[in-house]
This record gives sequence, C-alpha cells and structure tokens, in this order.
Amino acid sequence: MAKFKLAQYWAASCGGCDVAVLDVHEKILDIAEAAELVFWPIALDFKYKDVEAMEDKSIDVCLFNGAIRNSEQKHVAELLRKKSKVMIAFGACACYGGIPGLANFTNRKEIFNTVYKETLSTVNPEGIFPKTSIEVPEGEVTLPEFFNTVKTLDQVVQVEYYIPGCPPTPKTILNAIDAIVKNQLPPIGSTLAGKKTLCDECDRKKEERKISKIYRSHEIIPDPEICLLEQGLICCGPATRSGCETRCINVNMPCRGCYGPSDEVSDQGAKLLSAVGSLADSNDEEKIKEILDEFEDPAGLFYRFSLPASLLHRKTMKGD
Amino acid sequence: MKKISIDPITRLEGHGKIDIFLDDSGNVANAYFQVPELRGFERFCEGRPVEELPRIVPRICGV
Repeated sequence: MAKFKLAQYWAASCGGCDVAVLDVHEKILDIAEAAELVFWPIALDFKYKDVEAMEDKSIDVCLFNGAIRNSEQKHVAELLRKKSKVMIAFGACACYGGIPGLANFTNRKEIFNTVYKETLSTVNPEGIFPKTSIEVPEGEVTLPEFFNTVKTLDQVVQVEYYIPGCPPTPKTILNAIDAIVKNQLPPIGSTLAGKKTLCDECDRKKEERKISKIYRSHEIIPDPEICLLEQGLICCGPATRSGCETRCINVNMPCRGCYGPSDEVSDQGAKLLSAVGSLADSNDEEKIKEILDEFEDPAGLFYRFSLPASLLHRKTMKGD
Repeated sequence: MKKISIDPITRLEGHGKIDIFLDDSGNVANAYFQVPELRGFERFCEGRPVEELPRIVPRICGV
C-alpha cells in the first residue's frame, strides 16, 4: 500500500504535541510504515520553500499544532491548508487556543510592556520593542507581526478534524492514525476523541452532594474515591470532552479542561459556570454569593484551554 | 548585499531564523539570529492563582 504523505507543524505551541506523537512508543514504527513525512520542523530539515514547491493538495494529512499568535503562523497555516487534502487541528492550542490563548485576557501592548520592559530580569533602557522590519547596515531583517489576539486554527483556515488534548494521549493519537490509514474518518468537522463529558467516564462516586466551601487545590488532600467537585475542588469534568482516560483525575488532581468542550457543550466556560453555580449548598442568594466569591480566577480556570474558541474570544480592552 | 535566509531552523525545540548577509566577494559580512516566537507567559500568568502555575508553565516547553 502506498504511504500517505504526512506533514506536522507547530505554531504557538510548546513542542509537547510533537513529542506526544513519540509517546506512542514502539507503535511509532507502525506510523512510519504507513506514513511518509514530508514536513516536520522539529525532527526533519525541510524549509518553507520546500512546502511552497509542493503541488496543491499533495499532502494527504497535515497535523497542525499550536495557536495562531503571529503573521508567520497564519501564513504557514494558509500554505499548509493549500497543500493538504486533510487539515487536522492537533492539540488544545490549535483546536481551542490552549494555554497561549490565556493571552486573550490581555493584549499586545501589555505583553510587550511586561516582557520587554517591566520584568525584573529585563534590562532595556532604550525601550526597544520587536518590530516587523528593521534596517541594519547590511540591509533589512524582518520579524512576523505579533497579533493582538490569539486565534484557533479554524479561525484562519478551514479545518476538517480536531484531535484535542494538552497533549493528546497516545490512545487518542493512535485511534486517529488508525482511522486515517483505514480510511474510516468520521464526518468532516468531527473531533477525534470521546463524545461525552469527562464526568461520564469518571469512576468516582457521585452523591449529588452540595458544597459549602470551595477549596484551592493545595488546601486539602481529596478522597480518591469521591467526586472532586463534591469535595469542594473545582473540576472541569462536567463540560470537558472525554477521551483523555481521566489522566489528571487518576492522580487525584481536578480536570482543567484540555480536551475542550464535549459535543453537547458549545461554550466550555459558560457550561462550567452554570455547573458550579448549582453546587452551592444554600438557597439563599447572599450565601451562594459568599461561597462562590471564595473562588479565585473563575475565567482563567473555566477558559484555561479554550478562551479564543469561546463565545467571548477575548477580554475587551480599552484602546484595542 | 546578498542575503541567505535559513527559515525555519529545524531539528530543535523552538522557532528560529537566521539571516546571513554576504559581501561582494561572497564572504559573510554579518549574520542575524532571530527568535520569532513569543507567547507572553510573563504577562498572562499574572492574576492566576499561584497553585495553578505548575499546571500552566509546563507549557512553556513541552519537550
């Protein structure tokens, strides 16, 4: 059987998605058997001009990880889209914005000020900030434009499938590769993971218990048998897609939502807000408010991996 | 002046680009190494509860 042509690219990401592909261990040999890598910057020496020289739609599958943070990433997303038959958003950043998407709580100006001026370890008396073009004695050197807002991959190009996770588990990856090889991919637009929520997959005992106090994760050691939410620890399971094999829950840590919203949930944060709101052990509005007010940074937790993909997209700021 | 761009730099973790300028006789006049990558962890970690940071900052580098 002819090998399918596979490209992998990283945009605003950490490299963890590229490494996750190797976490399948010896099964990587099966992938190598089935796929021919035509572009993968972390591991192989292909340049952008090599991709530009390819015929349109000559790449069978592109696994694109990372969010769209700057103009170079947008350009490469458009280039790979043109060259690929199937574009797959790989990992939480490409699917939903991921951790780099937390930058949508701030903006370019604030990020530049903090990074290049205000941090204690920065020495920049002349106040030099990155520029897209700068004249040097020998000519011109350029940098991509840093966007004000982080975008998901499907906000800049058409995407056929989504493989969620930070990073996707080996099982999630192998199931997806298997579907590609056997030509058994589901309808376009599908997310190649579980269909239900994490709560549906979680083995912990649920007793519909209400809570009178919200704990921060360092304040208690939770009972490993009982639902974390019912013990007062905020867990993103009620709105998060299953398929991760409850990795965090298994080590007694609450879910932070890296598999994104499940099929029935359109906005992960809004769903979590409503789930937590109904947990408070009181019918008195003031008392409910008192319990929930102890909860630190709800937006940063409920949209930990999905702010750019949410209905909000970003925090609205003066001057933007 | 002739410019050779190596873009992207490959087989390493992170994003980088090298521009090499050659003089008239083809020797290297100067070279610029640039990192076009910035996500802004320094800023967006501010305001997050401190106990959450061990779950956020590993994503600075996942290699």
